[in-house]
Amino acid sequence: MSTETITQTATVFGDEVPQPRQYGKPGGIMRRLNMGTALVGGIGLAAIAGFVANALVPSGASTVTFAPVAPDIVYLAILVGWTIGFSVGIGAFVGPIRWLFGRDLTHADAEYMAGKDLGVKRYFKFTTDHKVVGVQYLVVFAFILGFGGLLAMLIRTELGVTWSEVFSPAFYNSMIGTHGIAMIIAMIISVMGPIANFIMPIMIGARDMAFPRLNALSLWLVVVAALCLVSTLFTGGIQDGWSVYQPLASQGPPAMLGYQMTIIVFAISTGVASVNLMVTALTMRAKGMTWSRTPIFVYGIFGAALMGLYAFPFFQYSQIMALTDRIWNTSFFNPLQGGSVWLYENLFWLLGHPEVYVIIIPGTVVLFELMPVFMRKPLFSFNFAVAGIVGVVALSGLVWAHHMYMTGWAPAANYPFMLSTEMISIPVGFLVLVVIGTMWRGLVWTRLPIMAVYAVIFNKMIGGVTGIYLSDVPVDQYMHGTMFVVAHFHYMLMGAGLFGAMAGLAFYFPKMTGRVLDERTASIGFWTAFTGFQITFMAMFVAGLQGMPRRVLQFDSLFNAPNWISTIGAYIIGLGMLIFAGAVVSSWISGDKAPANPFGSKSLEWQTPTPVPLENFAVLPVVTERPYNYGVPDPYEKELQEADQDLHPEEVGSR
Amino acid sequence: MSTAQAKPEQPKSPGKEQPRYPTTGEPISTIARRAKAGLWTLIVMDAAGTIAIIIAYSYLWSLNVNGGWAPPGASLTGSETDQSLPSSPPTASFAVEWPFWAIFGLVIISTLAMWFGYRELKRGNHAGMVVGTGAALVVAVGALVAQWIQISTFPFAAGDGAYASAVLLLCASNIFNLLILIFLQLGMLIRTSKGLVSQAVHYQPQILSYWMVWLCIAFLLGAICTSFMVESPNLDPAIFGTFQQQS
Repeated sequence: MSTETITQTATVFGDEVPQPRQYGKPGGIMRRLNMGTALVGGIGLAAIAGFVANALVPSGASTVTFAPVAPDIVYLAILVGWTIGFSVGIGAFVGPIRWLFGRDLTHADAEYMAGKDLGVKRYFKFTTDHKVVGVQYLVVFAFILGFGGLLAMLIRTELGVTWSEVFSPAFYNSMIGTHGIAMIIAMIISVMGPIANFIMPIMIGARDMAFPRLNALSLWLVVVAALCLVSTLFTGGIQDGWSVYQPLASQGPPAMLGYQMTIIVFAISTGVASVNLMVTALTMRAKGMTWSRTPIFVYGIFGAALMGLYAFPFFQYSQIMALTDRIWNTSFFNPLQGGSVWLYENLFWLLGHPEVYVIIIPGTVVLFELMPVFMRKPLFSFNFAVAGIVGVVALSGLVWAHHMYMTGWAPAANYPFMLSTEMISIPVGFLVLVVIGTMWRGLVWTRLPIMAVYAVIFNKMIGGVTGIYLSDVPVDQYMHGTMFVVAHFHYMLMGAGLFGAMAGLAFYFPKMTGRVLDERTASIGFWTAFTGFQITFMAMFVAGLQGMPRRVLQFDSLFNAPNWISTIGAYIIGLGMLIFAGAVVSSWISGDKAPANPFGSKSLEWQTPTPVPLENFAVLPVVTERPYNYGVPDPYEKELQEADQDLHPEEVGSR
Repeated sequence: MSTAQAKPEQPKSPGKEQPRYPTTGEPISTIARRAKAGLWTLIVMDAAGTIAIIIAYSYLWSLNVNGGWAPPGASLTGSETDQSLPSSPPTASFAVEWPFWAIFGLVIISTLAMWFGYRELKRGNHAGMVVGTGAALVVAVGALVAQWIQISTFPFAAGDGAYASAVLLLCASNIFNLLILIFLQLGMLIRTSKGLVSQAVHYQPQILSYWMVWLCIAFLLGAICTSFMVESPNLDPAIFGTFQQQS
């Protein structure tokens, strides 16, 4: 840095550091930008783009499938306008533009952008502090989960009221597709968003994520994507399931463009989040935190981020191709002009299956993190846990075509994919072994997080075993496209993923919010939801075994009973989730103030004060031992035993 | 976890004070290491996207579904094609190959110029960095213009079959990559001129240079596809959606 650009120095963690020139007040234009300006920018530019597109597109034009072009073009313009306008309004482009013109941030700028002294306002801005981003992710996750959950209730209402149609077939189909993709997005961010962002940097002894502005960008892009998704309900709906197979999607209403835009934007968000999480784990661990001293949570997040990094672009490009097929008459997926629908399915499932592990691995490693704390013993076979994660990541990209057994694509490939799919149960088995080994003869401190572990293990066992059934080609020929499949993947994604995330939230709630969770109420909610979950999806297994196809509005009366039971179960889940959410919200607002380390954990994130200060650590820590050394004898214990020898047995017993 | 407290990371050679990053106070070498790790992960992500395009291209090329790979008028396969749904008059043909290589060549020249500038910067020749980056920028803009001219003069339209679709997507990806590259090179030029990039703080041009090497590979893959995978090898393609028996 040349001397002419340096105008002053700033004290940064005790050192005098030369600063670039400060332009105006710290934060610059970011002082004026917030969620309000983002909404104004997004809605404003969407309106302008929509009007311009409407004026320019000839009203009579039609696509190759004879659908009118104008609604598509106008809707796409609105979506693009919304995405760009919102991003500009929140301040996503300020960083790159400042970089372009050489107006580097000063320490004061960075502190402003991290939300220093901004109070509650920092949660409504492009704030770079990882703790704020974690909390923002939590709220966004809750909204998307609530939206998807509401749709699930409506779907179950339709299927439970077997004597009449509650919704039109088109709207029912839209609810199915929208519920699916909303829940997939919610589950992907369930742990990777709130917990990984808030906890992981502190866990590894860092002051922030590697790229704080990318961190904020990933969060706000999820908001952009989520609202694109909601807009589909008003433009015809996603009527062909969350996978939006071609050529159905190309013949669907304009809402397909909303789906495509949602995925394109969400893939960018996931990409930048993955880059950030991986680089943070690789380069920002505290001194002394060797790989054997690195918490298993970090391995899991790294693995999930790696899967997201390599797999999401396939999904993203499948949607770009689908979009150009629709708007510009390209023919990637149109067989009449040389395209192939199998190409879509391959690209889609190249993400579609790794995404399952992107959801499950973080939900599992968060359990690994809390189990030693509540069992008061080390994590069983740390190396097996690492091997399990590595095995899942390595095999995750080799199993996609087991979703395509029945499509007719490459029948000769079915058996290799059956083998690779069954092989992945080996590293997954390692992970289950770690859970059981850690619980074995542990002194259980029965709190909500550890109770959730039992629930997740139960669900994962059922989801895993039924998954092995479905990976077998002969069984899949019967089960494919039935409610059995729906029950299976809900056991994995919701039973293992969501309940794992709830365990993680219950565990880290005091650190994230500074308040003690009302575990009594939260436990009632949790177990109510768990009970409802078993009722819903066990009944769905039965319906599937009886042969009930998925994604249908009307069905034979043979399936009435399991559907009634399933719907009752779904309402119980809803009730349980509301109770759990109520406990979280009320505790957050008016719960007791939490101590710094309420569970006596040994890992770094619990050694910081609560609420965690902006810089996390006044002085960076040095790690000297493994994170789960709960089995190491307490040096004071020996003294206590020696003292006991001098006492009368009754006195010892009363101690 | 037992912990002790440590001072912030110090430069490796105490006698030679490293520049500090203004916002965090960390040594520039720490920031550079982080940024390089970020670069590698970004390359993985971009490579996955490029592979997705290449898969799409090669998949459609190898299948030649309904004999619809080649643009109308360019089909040399003699395959049975449903001629009832042509989207444009049968005058379209495959693209000329050499422009793909010419654009690839321009990207290579731009990369070499960037590396020259970076090498000069490390030697302390600040002006050399400005010249190298400026030249790289001019050539990259040239590549962008050439790419645009190529797209606008293709002998086919987007609706002229799978080949047209795949080639246009490749070229659109090239344009996207070139736009990002030009943004980064322009920023580097401005920052170098302002003295924000220097012999002591040179990690950004280094990272950009590495990124450009990856871009060369991506452009090369595209040029290979469009040169050596033109006519589909599948002379007996599958017929879908037309109720015709496969011959």
